[in-house]
Amino acid sequence: MLQNLLEPTPLPPSVRANRVAIGSPEYNEILDFLYDEAEMLDNLRLAEWGELLTQDLEYNAPLRHTRSTAQFDQTYIRTVQHLHESYGSMMMRVKRITDTKSAWGEDPPSRVKRMVSNVRVYKTDKADEFKVESYLLVTRSRFDFDYFDLIPCVRYDILRRVQGSLKLARREILLDQVVIGTPNLGIIL
Amino acid sequence: MQKNSQRTLADGTRISDLINLETREVAMRTLSDPELYELEMERIFAKTWVFLGHETEIPKPGDFMIRDLGSDSVLVARDKDGVHVSLNVCPHRGMKISTLDCGNTPAHVCIYHGWAFKPNGDFIGAPVEKESMHGKLLSKEQLGLKKARVAIYGGLIFATWNIEGPSFEEFLGDAKWYFDTLWCRTDKGMEVLGPPQRFTIRANWKTACEQSASDGFHVLTLHRWLSEVGPYRKPGSEGGGGDLTPEMYGSEVYTAHAHTMRCIELDRKIRRLTGKDPSELSVKEKLEALPPPGVTQEMIPELLRNLSEDQLKIITWRPPQVGNFFPNGLFEFVYIPTPDGVVGVMALHAYVPKGPDKLEFVNWILAEKDTPPELKATMLRLGVQLLGTSGMVEQDDSDTWPHQTIAAKGAVSKHITLKYQAIYETGKPEGWPGPGDVGDGFTKDDTQWRWWQYWHELMTAES
Repeated sequence: MLQNLLEPTPLPPSVRANRVAIGSPEYNEILDFLYDEAEMLDNLRLAEWGELLTQDLEYNAPLRHTRSTAQFDQTYIRTVQHLHESYGSMMMRVKRITDTKSAWGEDPPSRVKRMVSNVRVYKTDKADEFKVESYLLVTRSRFDFDYFDLIPCVRYDILRRVQGSLKLARREILLDQVVIGTPNLGIIL
Repeated sequence: MQKNSQRTLADGTRISDLINLETREVAMRTLSDPELYELEMERIFAKTWVFLGHETEIPKPGDFMIRDLGSDSVLVARDKDGVHVSLNVCPHRGMKISTLDCGNTPAHVCIYHGWAFKPNGDFIGAPVEKESMHGKLLSKEQLGLKKARVAIYGGLIFATWNIEGPSFEEFLGDAKWYFDTLWCRTDKGMEVLGPPQRFTIRANWKTACEQSASDGFHVLTLHRWLSEVGPYRKPGSEGGGGDLTPEMYGSEVYTAHAHTMRCIELDRKIRRLTGKDPSELSVKEKLEALPPPGVTQEMIPELLRNLSEDQLKIITWRPPQVGNFFPNGLFEFVYIPTPDGVVGVMALHAYVPKGPDKLEFVNWILAEKDTPPELKATMLRLGVQLLGTSGMVEQDDSDTWPHQTIAAKGAVSKHITLKYQAIYETGKPEGWPGPGDVGDGFTKDDTQWRWWQYWHELMTAES
């Protein structure tokens, strides 16, 4: 019962026949969206990023477990997660950075590159929504540390066309690490 | 006084000289010294009881999970007799027995040479029994996994390698009276809402753990954003004008084995919720106005039945809200103001040592088993948003500890001292019925100082 309350809305299937061809105008528009979003976040244009979100946003990052190959489907945990956000809580994260003088975990901010690749777009049974899969490799540099924290993940997004513009309505982030190798997820993925 | 080389580091420094018991100072080098780290693993983590998880993580016979007991990987597994904790290392050739995080199996079979063990650690056998791979010099009874001693308390799993040492109750000491109000208050007890979050911080375990011993002062500055846009922001106040000092009043409890807690006053909240002077309200009325985290109106009769009058007085006046289990556990039972009213969040952390300069932060989120599912879901989401990996509060902590760890290596800075000189000048508050050492009023350093006193005691003890 708890599980049902916590589970995000199931994502539509990735059906090959529904693929939006690479290089098509719709695909290019979505690729632009992802690149522009990465640029906004890399450059701390967080309030602007917030305008890309729909009010019914679901944004989550499951835990991962090391399980046997036969139990691969059980390596994703969607009860306790690393991120389990709504529009309201995401905007609180944004405001913590933009509207306070004390968001020390990201002040001074990390230098971050969000490298987006392997983008595949699917039509869904809703005419105004696309399912978008992308790989994301985040490099994070803090202070004068001589190493980068690497955060590799896959993102499953629902992009919705609202009054002509694409908005992010849903994002699930599947991280590769069981034990996350960066001291916090104080940056947006 | 202590000439024993066991209590002297390679450069001649005596461990007892790292701490000045009179002036309440700790040499900075203590936070990162590799030699001290090795000694801590033996003298603290192989000696005391250590928090490993919650029994609801492994509810069925055969369920298991892999955890860290200090610097050693352990198998925490259930069979029909209960929960067992064994070294996750094959006694044959030292291979890690289970390389998974969790699962269910009646037999743990080492993938190297096939030796098999029961959930309780007993040796079942090796392949090709008639050819005696395990030899004839040792009996099967002697070839089991090394077993730790286990205690289950309010659903929490603790274990120790100190088989003949103090009982778990002795280890808790005076803290038990208070902890019972958290872990043993309802009939069915608590459950985890899922497996724990885990992430790595490049910091010494003690940076997190000395803070976990009820550091109140850091909230004012490190977590100041809470008063700027967060749930504690006063209506009408501009960003930067926030003040968290009202949250710093209450009682702080510190006990002989350095389990400590901050018991933060609820009077303001109860006054706001009821419009009445809390002194005019009964315990029951106060519980109904502001039930503890995860507790509903229907569960209040259980609290009235399971706790003593004195314990009820504490939980409706100044309940333990944050505190620690020495050496590396932390608990939070916090009351978070939200637009929909006050919501409780309950979390447990373990700060697992992973070398002198690294720790693993493990974060469990809990509720009462009888907490309604909708409230569990709200508590869980709020917990994830404020605490742990992405927590808006705790990300500030995890970004701080690495700097302390690095500073502890400087040729000069390693000799400066951490200071714990804000001292309670009052005794227990009037009418305080609980045991242990108790300070009254605004937060002080006594709880954290107690943490270091016990660290010192263990690190310099005759073994």
